[in-house]
Amino acid sequence: MSAGVSTGHDPGTGHRRPAVGQYAGDRRRAWPYPRWSLGVAVAGAVSVPFLVPPYPLHQVTLVLVYVVALLGLDLVAGHGGLISLGHGAFFGVGAYAAAILLSSGVPYPVTLPVAGLVAYGLGHAFGRPAVRLSGVYLAVVTFAVAVAVPPLIRRLAPGGAMGLPVRTPAAPSLTGLADDQWVYLLVLAVAAAAFTLMRSVVRSSWGRALVALRGDAGAAEILGMRPAAIRAHAFACSALYAGLAGCLFTWTTGFVAAESFTVTLSITLLAGIVIGGLGTVSGAVIGAVVVTFLPAPGLVSGLALILVLAVAPSGVTGLARRAPAFLRKDRR
Amino acid sequence: MLEIGRLTVRYGGVTALDAVGLTAGPGEVVGLIGPNGAGKSTLFDCVTRRRAPDEGVIRFAGHDVLARPPHQVAGCGIARTFQHPAVFPGLSVRENVMTGAYRFAPAGFWRAAFARDGERRLRAHADRVLDLFGLLGLGDHPAAGLPYGVLKRVEIARAVAAEPTLLLLDEPAGGLGPEEAAALAGLIRDLHRATGMTVVVVEHHMEFVLGLCGRIVCLDLGHKIADGPAHVVRRDPAVIAACLGAR
Repeated sequence: MSAGVSTGHDPGTGHRRPAVGQYAGDRRRAWPYPRWSLGVAVAGAVSVPFLVPPYPLHQVTLVLVYVVALLGLDLVAGHGGLISLGHGAFFGVGAYAAAILLSSGVPYPVTLPVAGLVAYGLGHAFGRPAVRLSGVYLAVVTFAVAVAVPPLIRRLAPGGAMGLPVRTPAAPSLTGLADDQWVYLLVLAVAAAAFTLMRSVVRSSWGRALVALRGDAGAAEILGMRPAAIRAHAFACSALYAGLAGCLFTWTTGFVAAESFTVTLSITLLAGIVIGGLGTVSGAVIGAVVVTFLPAPGLVSGLALILVLAVAPSGVTGLARRAPAFLRKDRR
Repeated sequence: MLEIGRLTVRYGGVTALDAVGLTAGPGEVVGLIGPNGAGKSTLFDCVTRRRAPDEGVIRFAGHDVLARPPHQVAGCGIARTFQHPAVFPGLSVRENVMTGAYRFAPAGFWRAAFARDGERRLRAHADRVLDLFGLLGLGDHPAAGLPYGVLKRVEIARAVAAEPTLLLLDEPAGGLGPEEAAALAGLIRDLHRATGMTVVVVEHHMEFVLGLCGRIVCLDLGHKIADGPAHVVRRDPAVIAACLGAR
């Protein structure tokens, strides 16, 4: 796809084309930076564990964990236009599923699909009835899930209110890597696979149907789309992503507790994807940085959020996509 | 082909359609006229299952349309446009037209994600349709914020991409200038000639209807007041009183 921010007049209509990134949820692919920048990003990501000391490495790993969660949330919120306040709960369920399996001696590669499937099942169970509700109602139902899960974990999960420490994946000795480097590379691989899958899903006929439903469900239905089925599946798939991310979180931190997965996490995830930029994969990456480094909710972070949204209503990604054209010529 | 019998829709105490019958043979182009509130769009809504009629039957190409859920109407080969163009603002013009062909597309989350080949075919199909409508240059443009006349064309292109055997057009020329309307009529005529689909057009623009339709049905306040060859119906005193006279 030829890149380029087009702001010119369209032949035949005399209509000014909105710049890429001007409004939220703009799905156009135009990435105004050269193709090799992607290669540089990949090379940089792989070399991080060999350049960065352990604690920052831990933080960068967490960023990748949240990337997976936000990719899933963006499917529902960015493309589907549905508000979910329950993704922190699905994240927590995935994290606990992985922790319980790890503490009972199951090898760590098994925990990833299991955590994903548990969250996927829960997503289906809540999504089927919930997506029949629109907008605000869905937000309230998912909010209820987010509120209900932490106390349930405290009551029922092993470790209870104390939390559950587990062993993190150990690097195979023949690689000669430290454990945290190994975990980083594992998380990177999962995040890259999740990223690639989501890109093709969003560009598929199914992904277009999801966006079409956001625009006009009645017209979409006449074209043969089943609104409830598509939205329910979108919701379940985004829960799957949240569950996978939760499992990666357990691998990274080696400790889970109900306090990590409260409604604050759900809201932070939603804020992250809005700040990063809805409907774009790079929005998930930027949002993940925000989620990881956002100071605890308070006056400063609240003001920072308001500032970002005032300056960049289409998120940081929208700002980045517009920047080159702005610097080049289009100072209108 | 399309057979509508005794279709009745009531909104509370108001009868929007009162035992209306309508047929359209294979390859026929039927104009559906009448003043505002005559029940034209309501009839379309019944055929596309947006509204359940109180009584009546709708059969198309051997299918009992009323027995199908709304998302299976496209599968019978029925496509429609709306009075106010219902394009999807989050998608580009090309993507909008691609959603028209949704019924041919690889369905489902996993299958769609890996169907590169199907996606390429769909894109080529959409580009052919865009080219017909002179919209190829706008393919990557977001459908949000385009002028009204262009949105109308995008929506018709989307319906045509579904390769319907029955195309229902709700005021396709509404809001278009005379030249645009004439061009659109020519385009629909060409498409009809090429595909042999049945077309039902709701339109106020009489020149547009007369230039396009061999047969005209006139509704007024939910009743059918005329049904016949275009040149006969346009001279019918009841029709003139109901809609033409009002102009």
